[in-house]
Amino acid sequence: MTILNENQLAIRQQAREFVAKHIIPRAAEFDKSGEFHPYLLEAAKESKIFAMAVPKEYGGLDYDALTQALVLEEWGYGCAGMGTTLAASILSMDSVLVGGNDEQKRRYFTPMLTAQIGAFGLTEPGAGSDAGSGKSTAIKDGDEYVINGTKCWITNGGVATVYVIYALTDPTKGMRGISAFIVERGRPGFTIGTVDHKLGIRSSNTVELLLKDVRVPAANLLGKEGEGMKIAMMTLDLARPAIASLSVGLAQRALDECVKFLQKRYQGKPHQAGQTLQFKLADMQIQIEGARQSLHHTMMLRDAGVPFSKESAICKTLCSDVAMSVTSQAVSLMGSAGYTSELGKYMRDSKIMQIYEGTNQIQRLVISRAVLTPAPVAAPAMKAGE
Amino acid sequence: MNFDLTEEQQLIGQSAREFGKEYLDPIAADLDHSGKFPKAIIEQLAGYDFLGLMLPEEVGGAGAGFVSYIQVVEALSRSCPAIATILNYHSLAAHAIATYGSDAQKKAHVPSLAKGSHLGTLAIYENGPTPGIGPDALLASKQGDKYVLNGTKAFVRNAGVADLYVVFATLEPSEKKALSVFLVNARTPGVTVGPLLDTMGLKGCPVANVVFSNVAVEADALVGGENAGSAIAQDLLAILAVAEGAQTVGLGKAAVKHAAEYAKQRVQFGKPIAVLQAIQTLLADVATDSHMAWLGVLRAAQLIEEGKPFEADAAMVKAFLARFGSKMLIDTCQVEGGFGYSEFMPLPRLFRDIAGTTLMDAPADFPDKIIADSIA
Repeated sequence: MTILNENQLAIRQQAREFVAKHIIPRAAEFDKSGEFHPYLLEAAKESKIFAMAVPKEYGGLDYDALTQALVLEEWGYGCAGMGTTLAASILSMDSVLVGGNDEQKRRYFTPMLTAQIGAFGLTEPGAGSDAGSGKSTAIKDGDEYVINGTKCWITNGGVATVYVIYALTDPTKGMRGISAFIVERGRPGFTIGTVDHKLGIRSSNTVELLLKDVRVPAANLLGKEGEGMKIAMMTLDLARPAIASLSVGLAQRALDECVKFLQKRYQGKPHQAGQTLQFKLADMQIQIEGARQSLHHTMMLRDAGVPFSKESAICKTLCSDVAMSVTSQAVSLMGSAGYTSELGKYMRDSKIMQIYEGTNQIQRLVISRAVLTPAPVAAPAMKAGE
Repeated sequence: MNFDLTEEQQLIGQSAREFGKEYLDPIAADLDHSGKFPKAIIEQLAGYDFLGLMLPEEVGGAGAGFVSYIQVVEALSRSCPAIATILNYHSLAAHAIATYGSDAQKKAHVPSLAKGSHLGTLAIYENGPTPGIGPDALLASKQGDKYVLNGTKAFVRNAGVADLYVVFATLEPSEKKALSVFLVNARTPGVTVGPLLDTMGLKGCPVANVVFSNVAVEADALVGGENAGSAIAQDLLAILAVAEGAQTVGLGKAAVKHAAEYAKQRVQFGKPIAVLQAIQTLLADVATDSHMAWLGVLRAAQLIEEGKPFEADAAMVKAFLARFGSKMLIDTCQVEGGFGYSEFMPLPRLFRDIAGTTLMDAPADFPDKIIADSIA
């Protein structure tokens, strides 16, 4: 286990208590209804947790990266769907953090202080893994931009108050023509399309966004025209470990529930079931602990100001693959009793962790590029006497 | 050694595939939503002779054998695996009577099960780690000429819709916790079906606890003699592992076909993703795993049909699919990305289903011990 300071331990404890009180008791209900419930935001208002990534100068909690990972792990433990709501709001903020000026940051982050949330609008029906092939446009008209297009699978899309939307300011330039914009909810022409019904993370809101002649002031452009793809990639580098955090929490929850079940089934003596079962439980914990360390290491690199792009991709891939493996194993070890919607939820929730915020295939592209073009390992050793 | 199917086996597989296309493909998504027992479909299965397919002709079955039977299970599972679960538990209940029952029991029960005028099922699992252990274990006691059953059978498939339960109970007093098998009519006083379990998938096959309180059955309800049930349970569970293997293979084949078609149409980076090696590897892995599983299933089925020892082969099928079965859907959903996670598309349903055919009823050590013991 990473050595945490007192502050981090206290924050994790607070998160644990919040999750136990507000998230765990209602997770099954929202999973069943398949709807995002504003209850969560109401419950989280007082703690300002939706502003945990907001810097102090904008009134936020300004948690370091490792502490954010600890909180997200707890949320993933409680319900990966509700954890996704928090993670996706921070994802949208990361674009503003990366590309926004002081005024834009203040404008975008202020709603987060009262548990309003944001959404990140990059993906389009024809532009998933190939994120640079989006067709949405933002054409300059005087001191405004006019945005047109369709975004899909947008987490929080139906319930956010602020959005970061990516669109082509110069359609002739392809991905170099993409720019990022702040778009506030309620602008004329901005409507919510189909609500997606998903295999898992069903308590999170996923929708299509329809933009028809939506006008935003030029002051809503993040960075410069054409910097959108760069901002998006930097955003995803920052945000990927959030998915790793949810995955670790999810996997730990599945293991804990599995152990709880086996204690009951074997009347307090699951070790009597034999080594095959015991070793499977050990393997689950080995995977989880290894994944957690990879995540924490990545977060410590980020907090130290060291480049962590490769580690970000590695921990996202490792943690999500571990979550898929551990949650499947948990269903198996619980037998027929594990095959309920309620316990199967961990397995259903895990599947998205391998897909969203860059599929694990895209992560492997990033990682393999880093492997194939390594930085010099170390300077040649000095000879004795030099 | 011959893996080629006979003409009859091929024709049976063909007709099951046609049945799937005509009757199951159109209803599979609705059945998943409603979870309502598909009575009309089961009647249609009877019309195709599938309900008595593997049962001997002399007791009213079609006498087509177990290899033919798994052709049907695999084919139906490509369209709707829940139907195959209903069929498996029905067929195994009838097979238990046809194999271990007395002449009178065969005559009384098998023809109506084979025809489909009655639906059967196995009541085998309990809430404890093994039958006879838990606090609500089903116990039987002999009282005069009758046996009286008290306790709960858990996770009973076809619960509430079956007419006949093949029930595994622990006969008291018994030192070794040996099981005995009883045939219990679903309408016998004292038999009650608990609330349906909200299963993750295989919706449409009802699963529930069945509670027995002072259920009295005649001595002629006992199958194969007192304390003969443990060996019978082991035999049936091994056959079931092979049948569920066929189910998983059908599911995997349907999923990989869907993902391959998707990959040919989905254009990213200026070309269909089907040309990307990363996608080809995912598809190739799934196709390989389902093919290897199918060879194992066929071999075990052949041994079953020929009456040869098959337990280790069945256990290997189970062990292999416990490892690679659910991965077939984890990987095919991955190929379809966001679409592979949307319940508007078919793969998420199959993802939930395959967890049922591979992970349910797979106690951690069940296959490993049998396999290890079989190594000479």
